[in-house]
Amino acid sequence: MKGDMYLARSSSEEILNKTESGGVVTSLLRFALESKRVDAVLAIKARDGNRYDGIPVLISDPEEVIATAGALHCVTVNIPRYIKEYLDGAFNMKLAVVGKPCDIRGIIELVKREQINLDNLFLVGLNCSGTLSPVVAKKTIVEEFGADPLDVVYEDIEDGKLIISLKDGTEKTKDLKELEQKGYGRRENCQRCEVKIPTMADIACGKWGVTNNKKATFVEVCSDKGAEFFEEAIKAGYINVEQPDDKAIEERRKEEKEAIESALKWQETDFAPLKDMANEEKFDYWWGQFSQCIKCYGCRDACPICYCKDCTLEADRGIVTPGEVPPSVMFPTIRITHVMDSCVNCGQCQDACPAEIPLTKLIHMLNRQLDAIFKYEPGLDISILPPLRTVTDRELTMPGVELAF
Amino acid sequence: MDKFEPLILGFACNWCTYAGADLAGVSRFQYPPNIRMIRVMCSGRVDPVFILKAFAIGADGVLVGGCHPGDCHYMEGNYKARRRIELTKRLLGQFGIEPERLRLEWISASEGARFAEVVTDFTKEIKELGPSPLKLQGNPERSKGSR
Repeated sequence: MKGDMYLARSSSEEILNKTESGGVVTSLLRFALESKRVDAVLAIKARDGNRYDGIPVLISDPEEVIATAGALHCVTVNIPRYIKEYLDGAFNMKLAVVGKPCDIRGIIELVKREQINLDNLFLVGLNCSGTLSPVVAKKTIVEEFGADPLDVVYEDIEDGKLIISLKDGTEKTKDLKELEQKGYGRRENCQRCEVKIPTMADIACGKWGVTNNKKATFVEVCSDKGAEFFEEAIKAGYINVEQPDDKAIEERRKEEKEAIESALKWQETDFAPLKDMANEEKFDYWWGQFSQCIKCYGCRDACPICYCKDCTLEADRGIVTPGEVPPSVMFPTIRITHVMDSCVNCGQCQDACPAEIPLTKLIHMLNRQLDAIFKYEPGLDISILPPLRTVTDRELTMPGVELAF
Repeated sequence: MDKFEPLILGFACNWCTYAGADLAGVSRFQYPPNIRMIRVMCSGRVDPVFILKAFAIGADGVLVGGCHPGDCHYMEGNYKARRRIELTKRLLGQFGIEPERLRLEWISASEGARFAEVVTDFTKEIKELGPSPLKLQGNPERSKGSR
């Protein structure tokens, strides 16, 4: 049933040997393929075993699913955009998709924009306490842990610590906050991200709430589709479950709360200097940033919210002058207006930007400001349309020119 | 700066504000000549991009006029305009362009006097704010005099 929670474990030894947790996600994917509930599975795997080079893979052979087992923290791919661009928005195939909260939120935003067909998707959400950019991750491992990045067999973020396990069996731990203050650690947007458990997916899997080093995955069933799917997987013998006790549920809730509090603190720390600038300073700062733009369209191409087939920013639309670099103020401002109401803080634009303009920081900050007016949380609820496409009943009775909720 | 005459762009909805402006003219109400009006079918037609473009090519202020809530010819165009203006104001504010430079007003076809009043007041406000920072920057789009 929707809302049920389980401590679950894969029944396959092969999968359990490959993962650090209960292997539930891998088992579910295998079940989805073997029971022909989906045509293919979209997940991430390490290319040639390289933990810092995660690639999305489309798998239709159940035997290959095992290659995607195990968590990868140094991977920043953008699942929603792949579904839209390369898989026809899942209009012609049934897919099981594995994603972090931001991936799932991006998918939901694209569903609202009619670019992805949700009916054909089964969304497996992964709890996420953040990802590291591959370059920073390697740097952190070399400079802070004094280890060879290629020796790392597993990395994890737990209780505010970054933990790496090496080939020779040693485990090293560093305080994440200290690392991040020095500029290492998680991506900026992940530090500020306040959605840690993807309850907007069909099921949410993670290790929070798994106590006593038990090899298990904590699963929350988040939709009726998820409930049906999960129960069938149990019946078919792919997964063994037990009920988590109140302590485990409380533990998970506590972990989530702490992570969210830390994210809100990061938001404050990061946004305050930008908000506190005087008008002229703001102006000089941002135009200074945008004057570095080389108009590569990387931010637009990476964004899970941008979806127009004919983009206003293209040269032939009469808005942005062709061949002009840096582009006029229209370029960044139009892009930002088009996405700021629905930004899911996935960090893709900033990752893609060769000029290192703090785009995600800017757009996410604006989005948080808009949240105060529109009360819209991007990508969380499929039934609520983006703010610029809808009008609430309350607004109809407001006479003023300003929205005051 | 004492001689600063602001350039203000006005978007007026066909059904209310434009008719209101017309009434202001017919009734010989005086208002500052700093405003240039563009008629749109609905305030909901005003894309934030239009507003940004206006600022990019040298406007000191932008006024958007629509029908009073409940009066929109297209049912809810003005409500959508209200949402867009809120969004655009936040964006301008973050970039150091005072959000006050963008104003939304409800002006009906019978409110000729109010139209004149709003334009007078807005022009005064923009005069006090001074030229738009984008204009001062010697923006390339402006010097080229593009569209």
